[in-house]
Amino acid sequence: MMSLVWKLLRQHISIAQLAGFFFANLFGMFIVLLGLQFYNDVKPLFSQEDGFLKPEYLIVSKRISGMSVLSAGEKFGFSDEEIQDVTNQPFCKSVGAFTASQYRVVCSMGVDGVARFGTDMFFESVPDRFVDTDLSNWKFDPNEGVIPIVLPRTYLTIYNFGFAQSQSLPKISEGIVGMIDMVVLLHGNGQEQRMKGKVIGFSTRLNTILVPESFIEWSNAKFAPEADLTPNRLIVEVKNPTDDAIVKYINDHNLELEDDKLDAGKATYFLRLVTILVMCIGMLISILSFYILMLSIYLLVQKNTEKLRNLLLIGYSPVRVSLPYQLLTVGMNGAVLLISLILLYFVRSYYMNTLWLMFPQMQDGSLMPAICLGFGLFAVVSIINIVAVRNRVMKIWNRKE
Amino acid sequence: MERIELLHTLPLVFQGRELKSEIWLQDVAFQKGETILIEASSGTGKSSLCSYIIGYRKDYSGNILFDGKDIRRHRVSDWTSIRQHSLSLLFQELRLFPELTAMENVQIKNGLTNHKSRKEIEDWFERLGIADKMTAKVGRMSFGQQQRVAMIRALVQPFDFLMADEPISHLDDENSAIMAEIMMEEVRRQGAGVIVTSIGKHMNMSYDKTFCL
Repeated sequence: MMSLVWKLLRQHISIAQLAGFFFANLFGMFIVLLGLQFYNDVKPLFSQEDGFLKPEYLIVSKRISGMSVLSAGEKFGFSDEEIQDVTNQPFCKSVGAFTASQYRVVCSMGVDGVARFGTDMFFESVPDRFVDTDLSNWKFDPNEGVIPIVLPRTYLTIYNFGFAQSQSLPKISEGIVGMIDMVVLLHGNGQEQRMKGKVIGFSTRLNTILVPESFIEWSNAKFAPEADLTPNRLIVEVKNPTDDAIVKYINDHNLELEDDKLDAGKATYFLRLVTILVMCIGMLISILSFYILMLSIYLLVQKNTEKLRNLLLIGYSPVRVSLPYQLLTVGMNGAVLLISLILLYFVRSYYMNTLWLMFPQMQDGSLMPAICLGFGLFAVVSIINIVAVRNRVMKIWNRKE
Repeated sequence: MERIELLHTLPLVFQGRELKSEIWLQDVAFQKGETILIEASSGTGKSSLCSYIIGYRKDYSGNILFDGKDIRRHRVSDWTSIRQHSLSLLFQELRLFPELTAMENVQIKNGLTNHKSRKEIEDWFERLGIADKMTAKVGRMSFGQQQRVAMIRALVQPFDFLMADEPISHLDDENSAIMAEIMMEEVRRQGAGVIVTSIGKHMNMSYDKTFCL
């Protein structure tokens, strides 16, 4: 019997109008979902928390210009007075100096016991209180001969893209960083010692090879007892990293802030802006298509008013009479949601593959945010449709049509 | 439903008009089981009366009661139930669906309660001489044929009262007699009351009461 009612009420359905709605809504919904999903997938790359440095720590060095290289007398290091001056600034909570190794360090690295490349390098340390990691890992004991090391994350990128790719070596993610064997050779003061390095993590914010302060003190005393320990860089804990006074002080004293955090912040800001813009456009398309659907349904009800009225008069309830149109709209909304999600799934797998090539450390997110938003939109739109159809039919019941 | 009462009922458009009516502004009761004829001339509010009783229009003063309950207080669900189980109306304007076949027009109503079997319905088509029109679109049938389809549709539901608004206006005497026969068979089977309206020509039956509108 429902099929008879449908046979009656499908009269005047405009396939063109409904197809117009369908594709417009599909397009809009897909853009909204893709925007959200892409934002969610990419956001962690920009806002990655640095496990080793708190956000309110800034790294300050002296600006190196062509002129200062030429004028040999100029010092790149910070004198005690300069350090004291930074400490006295109102924005500053505390200051620590970077202490560099003053002897020769040769390091070779490999994977699974096979040495792959070796290089001269250096170590630096900051006071332990500035290192925001589990301090049980951040200890050096001369008797054990293992040096905990934090590398800049860029090293990992250089390895993965520059080295591993060209040498057909496996790419390394942060998770399996423990596999890296590092053999460190320390020369100086007529002595030589072989030690093991242990990479305990990567930092996006530290542009240095960081080791515990205790190791630097021990090794400098052993291999370079007479060296000058003037620090080249300072680590400054500030009250508020966005304070304008910091930038002013840095500029006035010809200093430089080493902080890619700012860039990441800007990138995240623009990412958010673009995402919101894209989602707004998608939303606008969806709203317009929703409007088409409502108009189309109103027109349909209008054209079929007489049939609807007669059905009501021979004993059909408004609920039963509304049902075909409600099912039609909900069905279309459901189909739009389903197809958008399927499209999203394929588009996402495509861009995720590309992202993985660029950022192997990227974690596999889920489609959940898009699915939730999709179902949310579906529910809201469907409820509005259901109520609108029902109101129209009630108008006929109450003879206002 | 046992009783339909009209208490001082008057269509709003008739207010202030001089009336000589046995229905309007009177207290009238129709009892289940009675056969009633309402004779009217044009423009006396015959179709309005039917519209009020089926709950389609409310533009009247006074009260209409079903079993003592004012029908203005009926809710949507009450009306749906009344139209399905207690009150059947054969509309003067028929209100058939021209896009559907004659049989479909009947089935769309019968499907609500499954009151009659397909066989019973086919018998009625046969007796009314429109068996060959069962699968024809109603829109292509003559008004007289449509009237017979509308009558069958009015009978395929349980009811306590059947209202027939000018049921035979376009039928010859022979067909009106068959229609009256079929109608009264079903009315008696259900123990229902009948209210027939007519302008001049009316079904030749014995009526318990006759009112002049």
